[in-house]
Amino acid sequence: MDLKSTREGSNLIVDVEGRVDGTNAMDFQTALEGAIQPSDQGVIMDMGQLQYISSAGLRVILLVAKSLQKQNAKLLGCSLSESVREIFAISGFDKIVPVHDSRTDALKALED
Amino acid sequence: MSNGLALTLETRPEELDRLTAAIETLAEQDNWPAALTFKVNLVLEELVLNVINYAYDEDGHHLDVELTCNEEDLVIEITDEGKPFDPLHDAPDPDMESPMEERRIGGLGVYLVRTMTSDMQYRREDGKNRMTVAVSRDG
Repeated sequence: MDLKSTREGSNLIVDVEGRVDGTNAMDFQTALEGAIQPSDQGVIMDMGQLQYISSAGLRVILLVAKSLQKQNAKLLGCSLSESVREIFAISGFDKIVPVHDSRTDALKALED
Repeated sequence: MSNGLALTLETRPEELDRLTAAIETLAEQDNWPAALTFKVNLVLEELVLNVINYAYDEDGHHLDVELTCNEEDLVIEITDEGKPFDPLHDAPDPDMESPMEERRIGGLGVYLVRTMTSDMQYRREDGKNRMTVAVSRDG
């Protein structure tokens, strides 16, 4: 698992790469929480390079979505592979984290 | 088509890496589509972590993972000698509809397994938990 973050205005974009599973979900949580600042209004999780995620990783996304909600910030996802998109749909996570086809679409959604 | 694999794992989460590596090798040999590899990895991880996290009160035990390939399915069997635990009945129902602030995560792993397998059976015999699931080769 590798996590890279960039900032666009008051939005944070996080690239998640590789695998997020039961062995590294804690590292994923630490890295994600470390990247987010209280001033962030939107966080876009770009999952284009995310090869694999299990319920352990989804748990972290739920925790982060909850804490972002407390600071009135939104969490969005983009560029999901077919398999990851399926996991989001089955688990109902697409209702918690709105999913967009591309990073551009996600940024646009934050502007609206 | 290969015969599949049989692995004995220690009951600690780091063992997942060994399991994942074995699955990746098998997937490459047998030319699985990426979606199938994803599914098999997920099903195995959720079931194996359930055993590691709940079947025993301490580390140092073992569980057996067996995967056999046939034309239609990949059949996975996981056996442990821990406390009786039937994921089909003993895992909490997942919470899919509640608003975010109320949502619980328990039971999600088993729910994902259930939706990704065509057959799921639990048996308790000879003091062992035996979980058998079938993952369909075509979606």
